[in-house]
Amino acid sequence: MLAKLMSFLLLGIVRFLTGSQARWYGCPPKAEQRIYFANHQSHADMVLIWAALPEELRSITRPIAAKDYWTKTPFRQWITTAVFNAVYVDRQATPARPTTTTTTNTTVATEPAGAPAAPADADTATAGGPDPSPKTPTRAPSPEALRAALPASDPLAPLVRALESGDSIVIFPEGTRGHADEPQPFKSGLFKLAQMFPQVVLVPAWINNVQRVMPKGEVVPVPILCSVTFGTPIVLEAGEERRPFLDRARDAVIALRDV
Amino acid sequence: MNNFLRNLTATQQIGALFLVVFGILSIVTVWAFVRNLREQPSDTPEAEASALEAKRFWGLLQTSWAMATVFWVGWALGETVATVLFAIVGFFALREFITLSPTRRGDHRSLVLAFFVVLPLQFWIVGSKHFDLFTVFIPVYVFLALPVVSALANDPQRFLERNAKLQWGIMVCVYGMSHVPALLLLDFPGYRDKGAFLVFFLVFVVQTCMVVQHLLGRRFPHHPVAPQVSQSFQWPSWLAGVGVGGLVGALLTFITPFKPGQALGMALLACVAGSLGHLVMKALKRDRGITSWGMQGMSVTGAGGLLDRVDALCFAAPVFFHSVRWYFGL
Repeated sequence: MLAKLMSFLLLGIVRFLTGSQARWYGCPPKAEQRIYFANHQSHADMVLIWAALPEELRSITRPIAAKDYWTKTPFRQWITTAVFNAVYVDRQATPARPTTTTTTNTTVATEPAGAPAAPADADTATAGGPDPSPKTPTRAPSPEALRAALPASDPLAPLVRALESGDSIVIFPEGTRGHADEPQPFKSGLFKLAQMFPQVVLVPAWINNVQRVMPKGEVVPVPILCSVTFGTPIVLEAGEERRPFLDRARDAVIALRDV
Repeated sequence: MNNFLRNLTATQQIGALFLVVFGILSIVTVWAFVRNLREQPSDTPEAEASALEAKRFWGLLQTSWAMATVFWVGWALGETVATVLFAIVGFFALREFITLSPTRRGDHRSLVLAFFVVLPLQFWIVGSKHFDLFTVFIPVYVFLALPVVSALANDPQRFLERNAKLQWGIMVCVYGMSHVPALLLLDFPGYRDKGAFLVFFLVFVVQTCMVVQHLLGRRFPHHPVAPQVSQSFQWPSWLAGVGVGGLVGALLTFITPFKPGQALGMALLACVAGSLGHLVMKALKRDRGITSWGMQGMSVTGAGGLLDRVDALCFAAPVFFHSVRWYFGL
């Protein structure tokens, strides 16, 4: 009850401030299982996508929330669990990495840096260069086997559980909030989820303007119209490598900027 | 007929006015609906163009309905509600303006101030009839305070440009818009409770001028005065638009506290201010590389083009308000 009221209140506030307009280009709003992946510039991104989705999709779509930020206070925790029904993802602090090539990062969305490479993807975790063994078993195992092989400690695990239960999710494959015009290179979480759930539709989304509403460090939001543009779903081709797929996904998101 | 109208109370007269407005809107809506039904869908570019034109017309009709309803609700529920309604319109217009004028991080506090302090304060001052304060509050105090807040944000890059942008937004969307409800509060001797007529007079006259100017400019293309800014602004059609607006104003004398000559003068003044203000806003839009604040509802920002509809009014209202007060010594 309280959560329902809160969600109405939040919807009202978000619409008043940002208009929270959804623009469906390339796919209609439809109640099928989807992974929405979008650019990430503000903590409010999650809220905006949530508000832009039509009511009937909102209840079956779970945004990803960074555990450390969104559980810091009881209120934040309550909002994310009761109102957004968010999936928490760990983004534990990791020691500085020797190289900045995020391409090898094996972690999920909202992740600045990787957790120790999980056994299941040890083979893909080699440096960004050409794959040492061309006949890697990356696409040999079935999706079910991949899911089973995922250790419970893997940051992807909560997302996998959410998808297994039939929900749609919203992820930010850049891992962290960007400040540049273009999103940073995508991390491999999206690729792995696509492998594990071939039947789930992958929908790119571009979130526009949100960083202007509440820049980092400010507490009062400013009313500026924002929109979320949803594009044509992409598909993981049979045998497609990780990096080309992630670049393609990123291009699909960037392409929506000027639609 | 005229006698019958005169014998009605002010409330009844205004009620009749809204009845006429809603009646006209209904007729136009039905006509547009029937025309839509008759049209056969086809793939020729001509049909596509007419479909687009029809869609635009529907949008215009929707806006008109919304505006008329806003006016009616505002009038029915009293001055306070009317002031709040115009404050909300000003808020949405400013939101559109700021959305399409990129700001930097350093502007954040100034923007917070503009939206959540300046705008409510300005409309509160209007509502509480502090006339002397509300004409100077923004151009004097706010225009001095905002750059200070921006300067404290420690970002000198394009400082003048950024502040000018914000100040223009406030000037048009808050200051201009706040003068419309102010008309409701003007106290003409013997003209109590008829402020809504004055608002109607202003809106109708300015809108007539804009429509006539637009139609004539299209029907008789002439040399545009400032082709870089507007392809449609031409002196002959502009003069005709202002002239017709003035005439309509003179014909509407009976709903105003003015004598016919005064009504003509006030209408001309409002038309000149409104149409030229519209041109100024066009130049601002061109600078942003857009043709409309809403782009027919398809813009990346989702702006609805509200500012396109109210910009002429925002320029006309302060000039009209000031000249009325000054001329009649209110």
